[in-house]
Amino acid sequence: MTVKIERGQIVTVERGQRAARRIPGLGLLDGMAVVWKHWAGSFRKNQGFNDIHGVFTFEYPEERPKLPEAYRNMPILLYDEETGHELCTSCFQCERICPPQVIHMTQARDPATGKPVPAVAEFVIEYDACMSCGFCAEVCPFDAIKMDHEFELSTAEHRGLTVFKEQLNRPISYYERIAPTMWAEVREGAMKKLQGNIKRRPDVIGMAPNLAEKIAARRRELEAATAAPEAPAAAPAEGRKLTPEEKAAKLAAIKAANAAKKGGSTVEPAAPPTEAAPADEKAARLAAIRAKNAARQAGEAIAAAPAPEAAPADEKAARLAAIRAKNAAKKGAEGAPAPEAAAEHPPAAGTAAPAGEAATVAGAAPADEKAARLAAIRAKNAAKKAAEGHDAEGS
Amino acid sequence: MFKTEELQINIGPQHPSTHGVFRMLVTVDGETIIDLKPVFGYLHRNHEQIAEQNTYLQNMPYTDRLDYFNSMANNQAYAMAVEKLAGIEVPERAEYIRVLMVELTRILNHAGALGFLINDMGMWQTQLAFGMREREKILDLFEMASGARMMCNYFRFGGVVRDLPPEFMPKLKELLVAMPAFVDELERLLRENEILMQRAEGIGVLPRELALAYSVTGPVLRGSGVPYDIRKAEPYSVYDRFDFDIPVGSVGDVYDRFLVRIEEMRQSKRIIEQIVEQLPDARGGHINPKARQNVRPPVGDAYARIESPKGELGFYLVSDGSPRPYRYKVRAPSFINLTPLGDMCRGYKVADVVVILGSIDIVMGEVDR
Repeated sequence: MTVKIERGQIVTVERGQRAARRIPGLGLLDGMAVVWKHWAGSFRKNQGFNDIHGVFTFEYPEERPKLPEAYRNMPILLYDEETGHELCTSCFQCERICPPQVIHMTQARDPATGKPVPAVAEFVIEYDACMSCGFCAEVCPFDAIKMDHEFELSTAEHRGLTVFKEQLNRPISYYERIAPTMWAEVREGAMKKLQGNIKRRPDVIGMAPNLAEKIAARRRELEAATAAPEAPAAAPAEGRKLTPEEKAAKLAAIKAANAAKKGGSTVEPAAPPTEAAPADEKAARLAAIRAKNAARQAGEAIAAAPAPEAAPADEKAARLAAIRAKNAAKKGAEGAPAPEAAAEHPPAAGTAAPAGEAATVAGAAPADEKAARLAAIRAKNAAKKAAEGHDAEGS
Repeated sequence: MFKTEELQINIGPQHPSTHGVFRMLVTVDGETIIDLKPVFGYLHRNHEQIAEQNTYLQNMPYTDRLDYFNSMANNQAYAMAVEKLAGIEVPERAEYIRVLMVELTRILNHAGALGFLINDMGMWQTQLAFGMREREKILDLFEMASGARMMCNYFRFGGVVRDLPPEFMPKLKELLVAMPAFVDELERLLRENEILMQRAEGIGVLPRELALAYSVTGPVLRGSGVPYDIRKAEPYSVYDRFDFDIPVGSVGDVYDRFLVRIEEMRQSKRIIEQIVEQLPDARGGHINPKARQNVRPPVGDAYARIESPKGELGFYLVSDGSPRPYRYKVRAPSFINLTPLGDMCRGYKVADVVVILGSIDIVMGEVDR
């Protein structure tokens, strides 16, 4: 019985019996024939999707089916073998989207300034509770987290399933091998973003911890960069010389300090301004001038900060200069003799890291003009505030 | 005759037949069942409450784990509910891919379900292995597209996560070549086999009125002779573009449910063939590029339902304007189809209980949530 409906019909399924069933036992043999046919087929291999007979199982450990590219099991973190840097910037997107909340991370911080750096310090995934949904890999804007094809993860040690960064790290070439087209789609953008992030990572932060050689090489490189031939006024305590960028930043700090000093009557030049002209000197000088003006407005200043020791990166140096200028101006306004202005900002090169690790990032050139300008603005604001405070006190 | 006492026994809760942790409190008089009470809750895992703590997107992989045979169907129902709530449009191509995946799911579900049914009848593992092999092929396709075999997590609001890979379509066409032979073979096993017929014909009758009263859906309802299929009754997605029939039974016994499922596999194949034909012309991409995944739907509620392989699967969502659903309710077909089990079993033998349970086709993950 059938009833016509829109684009189809309602069919009452046929319960009727075929001729075979009228002879008792024949249906049974017919069913057996199906099974026997499968048995006969079990002596050959299955021919593929259009074949319903044959052996379709694999002799697993020896024989492995090819996994499709999209296959996902557990998340892994990628690093670039060329530079040794990890792609992850600890943006916390995967941590936030993870449905069972098994991803945990902390952001790396610059040991000198305490400012966050676009790199990940610690990264933990609890593999035992991971549901392999792949959201982390989907949401990652830096293509740093990807889904692995490895599935033989069984272990007798439950704690071994809390996986840290060292075990999560895989080179890009590994992912490229397991998912060539999926990586090709995102490759360009990912590498571009990585280059941008490397510039903002001081020291060896953000480098894959298992690449000991790479890290050592990078250290040597950094040390070589810091040991520049010129700059005789280097801090002797550290036994190293200044790069032009550092010099410029130092200059800015000195000028700022001088300006603060000049604001008062007691003029005691701290350090004679040298006339070295590195690439970013202009920016730093501008910062110094602005800081000077600001400090002058403060009205008075008694003692100045001593010439600060060189900070590792010039961005940092400029910022430090600004902070020192600010402190100096504040102290000046308070009318108290200024002690070591930079006491709360210890020179990074000496204290923050062991002597061997103290290194600078050379080649962060594009950022420093901006940083210097920022420093100047901050110094100006601070000085203004100090002046206001002093005025209030005076009246 | 001897006077016998009624006896209460438990079937389960550890895996009665092959259907997960489920307990049946059976009152028997000799071998005859007088009463049967299904007892659920052994696999309760707080699905709905967890869903109310998650964001809308975070719930997608959890829906995979409801009815773990049909993760694609669960994904579709949930995605439709959120899309309805947030007013997200789905491109044509994405709709075709979705329907393709759900129809493949229907085939693999029925192949598995009938394998389990025959398994429950005592043809231990033979037919199940045949059914599982076909299922494996479809799972291979799912793996290609979504990356996972069972927990696909393939659907997103406004489409699917990625387009079909280039090697998908040739494989699918190969699969369709072998499909009719497989379905015929499956049918031959029961239809002609006297032993299996003895276990199926006239067993576990669910009359039409009772089926409606219990609001049973899916092949169980159609087996009882009610031509109700949401794909026809309330066409969603692109189902109004395909020609397919609705098979219904006439008696409502295990045999009818078996036949309905066999026929549904054929109809699903028919739909897939039409999709293969129409997919290249479908407009749009695999996902609506404007659709945001971290949705924050306006205040309101929505109910979306689909014809999942097991029946009407619906998601009811209430939004209070936050990124998390205020209320999340699953209308699970397995759960509702299981409730008339007592009425279906009354008067039959203890050995039939397992067969009747197998013919309902339940997945405990969905029953208990």
